[in-house]
Amino acid sequence: MTDSKLTSQGAPSGFNWKPLATNQSTILVAVILLLAGVFSAGSYGSFWDVSVFNNILTDWGLIVLLAVGQTFVVISGGIDLSVGSTVSLSGVVAGVVMVNWMHLDLNVKNEAAIGPLLIALLVCIATGVAVGLLNAFLVNVVGIVPFIATLATLGGGAGLAIIWSGGMPLQGPNFYGLVNPIKFGEVSLSPISFAVLVVAIIVTIAGLFLAKARFGLYTYAIGSNSFAAKAAGINVKRHLTWVYVVSGALSGIAGMYAYTRLGSGSPSSGAGLELQAIAAVVIGGTSLMGGSGKMLGTILGAFLLYEVQSGLLMVGMDPNWKQVIVAIMIAGAVGIQGFSFGQRRK
Amino acid sequence: MKRTLRSLAVLGTVAALALTASGCAQGEKQLTIAFVMGAESDPFFQAMKVGATEEAAAQNVKLVWQGDPSHYDVATQVPIVDSVISTKPDGLVLIPTDPAGLQASSDKAVEAGIVVANVDTHTEDTSKAVIFITGDNGDGGAKAADAIANAIGYTDGETYQVVVGLTSATATTNVGRLDGFKAQVAASYPGIEIVDVAYSQSNPQTAASNVSNWLTKFPNLKGIFAIDGTNASGAAAALQAKNLVGKIALVGYDAYPANVELIKAGVFTALIAQDPAEEARQAIRAIVAKIRNNEDPASHDVVIPNVTLDANTSAADLTKYTYVAN
Repeated sequence: MTDSKLTSQGAPSGFNWKPLATNQSTILVAVILLLAGVFSAGSYGSFWDVSVFNNILTDWGLIVLLAVGQTFVVISGGIDLSVGSTVSLSGVVAGVVMVNWMHLDLNVKNEAAIGPLLIALLVCIATGVAVGLLNAFLVNVVGIVPFIATLATLGGGAGLAIIWSGGMPLQGPNFYGLVNPIKFGEVSLSPISFAVLVVAIIVTIAGLFLAKARFGLYTYAIGSNSFAAKAAGINVKRHLTWVYVVSGALSGIAGMYAYTRLGSGSPSSGAGLELQAIAAVVIGGTSLMGGSGKMLGTILGAFLLYEVQSGLLMVGMDPNWKQVIVAIMIAGAVGIQGFSFGQRRK
Repeated sequence: MKRTLRSLAVLGTVAALALTASGCAQGEKQLTIAFVMGAESDPFFQAMKVGATEEAAAQNVKLVWQGDPSHYDVATQVPIVDSVISTKPDGLVLIPTDPAGLQASSDKAVEAGIVVANVDTHTEDTSKAVIFITGDNGDGGAKAADAIANAIGYTDGETYQVVVGLTSATATTNVGRLDGFKAQVAASYPGIEIVDVAYSQSNPQTAASNVSNWLTKFPNLKGIFAIDGTNASGAAAALQAKNLVGKIALVGYDAYPANVELIKAGVFTALIAQDPAEEARQAIRAIVAKIRNNEDPASHDVVIPNVTLDANTSAADLTKYTYVAN
């Protein structure tokens, strides 16, 4: 009796492949590897190069910061459209502070630029936090739905970036070495740059906060059912304020990342990035309905976007295909979500 | 109290009469001209705004400056143009982001009795526009080819790989410059091979990313033609990051102040500069002349020559052609 029960319920009756095969992250890794193979073959091997992966990771570093913040917001049941314009705005504010206030120019470079760049980083974070607080105010206090509230701050941020920069990129101190592969002696063995390393650390901490800390638990709870979360004693408005502030702060850091990459605060450096960030989140398996999603998926989704961009160029295909391929990936990702959900319900 | 009010009323009437008299003295009704450009975040249009504002003030014109903040895109421009037309301005200066996409809006404006001018780019049919003013894009592209050939020390019999960074496949300025570049290469520098083109969609990050990938894909790359200011900014950042300044010829377009600085630093071999402020001035002048005096411009298509800025350009000329904002 006991034995038969064990056999029917607990004993392994062969490897259950379905949960693994329908797991978004597993599929994303498979797609990344498959595309790497296709692009390598299509480019006669030149895709498989340290500098190509440095390029992909450099692009990834910017978008993943936005996508990680967006993941928190989307899981909480909201959306943050202001992240792209916050990149432009914070980069421009950093430029204004260094160029117009501190009177520094492009001749302050490399190690000499570290001090001003650190000040600029703080300015960028403060700008992002201010945008996040404004978003939270519009959502929590004024009661505007997140899509409209952040659409307003998207437009406002883009406008201010143009007004404060006079529409021109503000070129100031820089240290391009921060975005180049870290070298051991004269050789660069790894595609990782200092900037990407910092981003990877930030992303890991954010991922742990989502998966392991009370902060993440509350975020999932509010996204699943905010009334139930409130009834369970969670201060929903305060938590949502933190969620938008985190997204804003990460967008501010992304603004500094963009500045470091371009050597200037450009009012167009964040144009359209909000949609790329949302695409990375959706491809990564986070549901736009809120309440579910994983940071690893977002990180892989962001990588996939730029693997496709670099890969198409290396293969020599028309770059407009990127949009088509991303569209297919979004449709596929949402399809897989539906399939896995169906599996879980069974 | 009553007396004070009465005094104020008298003062107000006198002031109003004085204002009316000054208007009559000029003898011209103030015109409203709407100016719909490509993307506010592009310094080219900021420099254009300076010229438009100056000329509008000089001609007693109320200027309505409109356009998308950051997207150079037909989808965002059409609704802006259509709503501007519904405000019934006297004139419309239009910089169409797509020749076919803006044709219907342009026709609608003409039917509503609005005098239309095209600047920088044009709609498919420019016959109904009072004037079309542009920088000479074909000539600019040819000058870029000359500058690259000069920088790489072109000699017949050798082959040289060159890439071109564009914003979009359809913007008429991009197409004109690329055609001019290709024609000059075919005519004078057959050893130059254009191995790839890519699009930045008006984002300097994307432009930098494209150039970084090219530097890997084409290890023997000799030159880059960055076809507008956004591409120029991105390409300059990528070359500096990869420590390839001076090793690859970089010819950009548009004299953004930041890019002019980089000529001095040796990052740009040359910049091809336009005169956007002058384009705007001429467009407003043509519309005003048409409305007030029913005068057509001497020539329907006006081409303002581009200039090549490089390390040998005088400081005075660099200042003259650098784009400035209000």
